[in-house]
Amino acid sequence: MSAINPAPGIPGLIESPEEAEYELRAAEGSVWTGTRLAIGIVAFAFAGLAFAYFYLRSANNDQSWRPHGVTAPTDIGTSIVALTIAAGALALLGNVRLRRGLRADWQVAGWTVVATGLLVVALQIWELTRLRFFPGSSGYASCFIGWAAMNIALVLGATYWIETLLARGLRLRRALVEEGATPAALSAERLFRANAEGCTLFWGFTAAVAAFFWLLFYIF
Amino acid sequence: MTIDSGRRPAAGEPVGDVGVTRPGPTRRPTSRPAWLGQHLGTAVVGAVAGYAVGHWLGNQIASAYPNTAGASGLNDTAVVLGLAFGVVGWLAGIGALNYPLAKLVGREPVTPEPQQGWMRYFKYSTDHKVVGMQYLVTVLVFFFTAGLLAMAIRTELLTPANHFFGPDIYIAVVGEHGTMMMMMASSAVVGPLGNYLVPLMIGSRRTAFPRVEAASYWFFAAGYLVILTALPLGGFPTGWTGYAPLQTQSAGGMDSYLVGFGVIGIGMILAGFNLAVTIIHFRAPGMTWNRVPVFVWSMLATAALLTLATPTLVAAGLFGVLDRTAQTAFYVTEHGGSQFLWQNLFWFFGHPEVYIMALPGFGIVAEMLPVFTRKPLFGYRVAAAGMLGVALLSFFVWQHHLFQSGINPDMRPLFMLTTELISIPTGFIFLVGLGTLYKARIRMEVPMLFALGMYFNFLIGGVTGVFLSDVPVNVTVHGSFFVMAHFHYTIMGGLIFALFGGIYYWTPKMTGRMLDQKWGKIHFWTMFVFFNLTFFPLFIVGLLGQPRRVFEYAANLQVWNDISSTGAFLLGASFLIFVGNVVWTMVINPRTAPANPWASNGLEWQTPTPVPYFNFERIPVVLNDPYHYGDPEPAPVADLGAGLAMAVAGATADPSTGLDPR
Repeated sequence: MSAINPAPGIPGLIESPEEAEYELRAAEGSVWTGTRLAIGIVAFAFAGLAFAYFYLRSANNDQSWRPHGVTAPTDIGTSIVALTIAAGALALLGNVRLRRGLRADWQVAGWTVVATGLLVVALQIWELTRLRFFPGSSGYASCFIGWAAMNIALVLGATYWIETLLARGLRLRRALVEEGATPAALSAERLFRANAEGCTLFWGFTAAVAAFFWLLFYIF
Repeated sequence: MTIDSGRRPAAGEPVGDVGVTRPGPTRRPTSRPAWLGQHLGTAVVGAVAGYAVGHWLGNQIASAYPNTAGASGLNDTAVVLGLAFGVVGWLAGIGALNYPLAKLVGREPVTPEPQQGWMRYFKYSTDHKVVGMQYLVTVLVFFFTAGLLAMAIRTELLTPANHFFGPDIYIAVVGEHGTMMMMMASSAVVGPLGNYLVPLMIGSRRTAFPRVEAASYWFFAAGYLVILTALPLGGFPTGWTGYAPLQTQSAGGMDSYLVGFGVIGIGMILAGFNLAVTIIHFRAPGMTWNRVPVFVWSMLATAALLTLATPTLVAAGLFGVLDRTAQTAFYVTEHGGSQFLWQNLFWFFGHPEVYIMALPGFGIVAEMLPVFTRKPLFGYRVAAAGMLGVALLSFFVWQHHLFQSGINPDMRPLFMLTTELISIPTGFIFLVGLGTLYKARIRMEVPMLFALGMYFNFLIGGVTGVFLSDVPVNVTVHGSFFVMAHFHYTIMGGLIFALFGGIYYWTPKMTGRMLDQKWGKIHFWTMFVFFNLTFFPLFIVGLLGQPRRVFEYAANLQVWNDISSTGAFLLGASFLIFVGNVVWTMVINPRTAPANPWASNGLEWQTPTPVPYFNFERIPVVLNDPYHYGDPEPAPVADLGAGLAMAVAGATADPSTGLDPR
């Protein structure tokens, strides 16, 4: 069976080349805008967490924002942020290589990002087992638990995105070799590239979020 | 979370000299009965199985921990995991997870053959018209369920001291009613009319992300079931606002509230995301921003609010769940948290939510007014700017909900000012309606009656809202029935009247059937009169000091309460007229509707009925806005025949077509 779905749709619908191109451009634009909007959605969710952090810190109710200056394990936290930033950088580097037509490089970089993302999630879960405070012991502790939960969801989402792209890229490449540059394959390739651009941007955003909250939870 | 546009790539199989034909689906034709696939039944089975697994898992994880049992004695971790796994099972059962899982191995989307018949409404469909109809029915089920709870409230308030319920059941009913209504209202227009009509109005064959659109509906439906579980789990005593510290202390129904709002919130985000991208990128050639129908402008403003305000609610709900399960202390003051944190996060979503509910109503009536006045829409650009202005300003007013608590008193004037400011763009939208009505020869059809009723009701709701934005009045009537009456006038008097107007207006397009107009008028007048009979007395009892959410009141307020309760029962009866009208005209005595019964210029009315799967045989080229009523020789709104290829060929000859809306 072909790796590319050769146009499921309505039997008998005749689509002019202009219409096909118009819809393809709209779909590419949708990926572009959708990526920015997805970043906005996640940014507002994390803004809620940042608001909680600053609100509770400034209120310091019952002198319980951060009793005794406890922090989460700094070595694990720093490893997490370093790996996340490295994954973001690697996604960016892979995309640069993809633009130059070096697809194998992008594949290698991408699978490394997937492995790194999974490692980040594992480390974040492990860190939760190594905390020196009870979740409800302070405002800081509560915010940290919230951060850990949200960060796991964010990194898992970003990892899922790049993994699905990598898997699709493999199938697409095989189809291009086996079936040649059919219009369907070329359309799929263009959408694939648009997705790769969006995914790279999302990984960059993920790294920025990790860096910002690392400063909040481990430095300040 | 790959962003997949769901676009169906062209096959490249030339047919004649015209273009390419999309061949049939790759899935083999099958004679398997429709009920054997994935549908609502399998979703229910998945939800039940998921709940059982999650509940068992929660007990395994947390039963040995101290303090896991909340006030009800339930293990909150088990309840939350049960509900969460139940939602996952629901989505798996309906088939929403098939493609996300297939993508892990790089599979392309497989679009099933377009289905006919009623079974398609019980399946995971990526057809925006099916999704719109699914939303419409579910919204009405939501509305009537919460309406029955409203009847229960008014029954209790018939007498000041003789009780039908105890205080705990009463407050549980109040909370359930308010939460269900808010959940319903947040998607009441975006879901049914937005999904169904926006692609038709902008000349698109589909939405940008059809699977995201379908998922938004199945999250919405799951949210209905989750919030229903609150009652058997003991309800929640907080009302729809879920304030801490009651939130942290209350029974298992609070878990349903938090998970339910989270699930509905995800559905709202997905719906807004899809609509916003669709409007930006899938407008037909020539559909410039100056020609976009005003209803679509309202959907765009609402979509912006849905996507940006709702994530904060989801985050706040997560913190609440963590407080109740992982024993964090976000909202527990004595452990470094703050109950005011919930208020801030909730209202950062909650006030834009008010406009998520109001703006679509304005969009509907502004779309209908030119049709029934046969005049161009007065101040089209002002209307669009007003909607965007309201959307923007709505992010800067949330602190007025904290005038009585949790705010530095010096900050009150600032938020009083921003709240009063928002009445300016709202007034713009209102004036656009009045300007269109001015010196018009109005056709008093049923949709127009609902539009006029909406303006009347919203005027009362809006003016009392300006009063409430002032700190002295706010402090005086805070927590009273005055506030309750105000927001019922804006939401029910505004949104719900507009929604019913929209249902009467677009039903001929959506179903091919015409609702009976005589019974429609009876429905309108009974609903309008009894709505005002129900809610206007509540301004009076509010000013006289009757507090919300309390099941007893002073004896001297009984007359006004009885008037309100009587009005409420009759208001409920008015909806039976609507239901009877639907059953009669859709099922018992169906009548085929005229192709364009209101003589509208709207692009959605230029399509055949029933609307074909891909909406337009050719992608239309839009030539004009749809509001040129009254012109003796109006220019056509769109070229539906030759389509894009001819337009591209002629673009250099006539640059006014504005072929690239981007």
